[in-house]
Amino acid sequence: MNKFEIFKNGVTRENPILVQQVGMCATLAITTSLVNGIGMGVAVIAVLTGSNIVISALRKYIPDEVRIPAFVIIIAAFTTIIDLLMHAYTFELYKALGVFIPLIVVNCIILARAEAFAFGNSVLDSAIDGLGMGVGYLVAMILLSSAREILGNGTILGFRILPEAYEPMMMAIQPPGAFILLGLLIGIVNYLSRRKKA
Amino acid sequence: MELVSLFITSFIVNNIIFMQFLGTCPFLGVSKQIDTAAGMGIAVIFVITLASVITYIIHYAILVSLGLEYLQTIVFILIIAALVQFVEMFLKKSAPGLYQALGIFLPLITTNCAVLGVAINNIIYEYTFVESLVYSVGISSGFLLAIVLFAGVRDKVDYADLPESLKGSAISLITAGLMSVAFLGFSGLQL
Amino acid sequence: MKNNFVKLAGILFLIGAISAGVLAWLNDTTKDIIAQNEAMASMDPAVLEAVMPGSAVFKEEDAALIDTIKADNKQFINLLTAVDASGNEIGKVVRTLSTIKGFNGDMELYVGFSPDGKITGTSVLSHSETEGLGSRTAEPGFMNQFIGKDASGEISESDYDAISGATYSSKSFLSAVNNAIAVYTEYVK
Repeated sequence: MNKFEIFKNGVTRENPILVQQVGMCATLAITTSLVNGIGMGVAVIAVLTGSNIVISALRKYIPDEVRIPAFVIIIAAFTTIIDLLMHAYTFELYKALGVFIPLIVVNCIILARAEAFAFGNSVLDSAIDGLGMGVGYLVAMILLSSAREILGNGTILGFRILPEAYEPMMMAIQPPGAFILLGLLIGIVNYLSRRKKA
Repeated sequence: MELVSLFITSFIVNNIIFMQFLGTCPFLGVSKQIDTAAGMGIAVIFVITLASVITYIIHYAILVSLGLEYLQTIVFILIIAALVQFVEMFLKKSAPGLYQALGIFLPLITTNCAVLGVAINNIIYEYTFVESLVYSVGISSGFLLAIVLFAGVRDKVDYADLPESLKGSAISLITAGLMSVAFLGFSGLQL
Repeated sequence: MKNNFVKLAGILFLIGAISAGVLAWLNDTTKDIIAQNEAMASMDPAVLEAVMPGSAVFKEEDAALIDTIKADNKQFINLLTAVDASGNEIGKVVRTLSTIKGFNGDMELYVGFSPDGKITGTSVLSHSETEGLGSRTAEPGFMNQFIGKDASGEISESDYDAISGATYSSKSFLSAVNNAIAVYTEYVK
């Protein structure tokens, strides 16, 4: 696989949320506004790329028997780094994302990429893989959070785009809206990929 | 009385799945049959409660007193992983029957964000030890309730005549959304 | 077998130790900013406005200086720098207990000082004075008389209007303001 293929793979064919459907908790919980969705997406890109690079660089020194605990420590360390940086420099976003920042550590996509890709590939390839998967995650977050913000609030990034007369569909930013809209989004993706194949 | 209201709030009103979205992965993954869903739910109650007690003690006895709160994420996740391993070994040896029933779910629980989420929430909400215990039992019972109800509905959905594209996880999420509407009704509950 | 176990544990320990080291360093560098963010979030905007109009947050001063003042002045609690929304320093704030007990114990105050040495405002953090009498010291009607007072020396009892029927509380409040002035003139000016 060339470098671009690796990147594209994460965004489209193996998109973590829309295709693999892992790491759903944060996806459902914090996508109430586009800002939150982007913030969470960028945080995941940072942790995923960082841990992929380190794990790939250390792959010759980490014995097979203890690789899972080693991965967990490295991923937890990157999560804490992001946690501290966001707490210090993007305080309002930090408060909005709350417990879901430390919970990046149990986002299955990160451990899965460490195990399936970074532990067996070069540092550069692993970095690209992390970036691709991360961007795929970000794209899904952007789709879902903009849909929820537009429907539930009539705004995008805080700017009103629907006319005042539009009665915001409160349900979209409440918990049920998260489930239903993500379900529909996955349905649309299924439909598109089936049509492409046919 | 406050403890009772804390229990009901965390059990139903702020239901872990339908309101807080913690533990959605096993919720969607292990809910094809009611039996397995119930097994998973009981295993989760067991692990969450045990993990909350241990992380709570370690947080206040070690991390806070040494000023190492920033290591919380690493320490908690390692404790949870080790705990799950330990419980698995213990059950295998001393309660083979229970191990048969719950064993296959245990490894899945390590990456269940509900466990870490509850452990961290206990600290964020500044619960006392007893409150955190009640909260953990309430939240994890909420998980059991949600996953069993959901498995029951899903049984029927499988036989429904659906557009191909919506089959599988798409319709599962939409179903969960509709159940979440029902749980939203509890949010006006004043306790 | 045994050697292998030691090696595995050693590697895990090494990874853990390096991670902890990096985090310790990062925690140290971000600690102050985080504390300030939290302080900003926990501050009541009404209190900020009452003590130092236009301020966005009260920032912590150097801990060594605080300790020196504390050693010297028992009622003193904290010395803070008031900063506006764009980060410019606009004055100092002293947090102190009263030196004379009120009707029911100490009062705790914020007293703000502008750079030219005038009191910008006060706010009562806690008191246990009688509701409806002594508690009126915490109301603008009483506190506003201190705004603009020169902080070059102690404010004497003839220079302010005590609340009638709440002399103890008024005196206690005044003593806290005077203690703030004492700290301000000695350590800031």
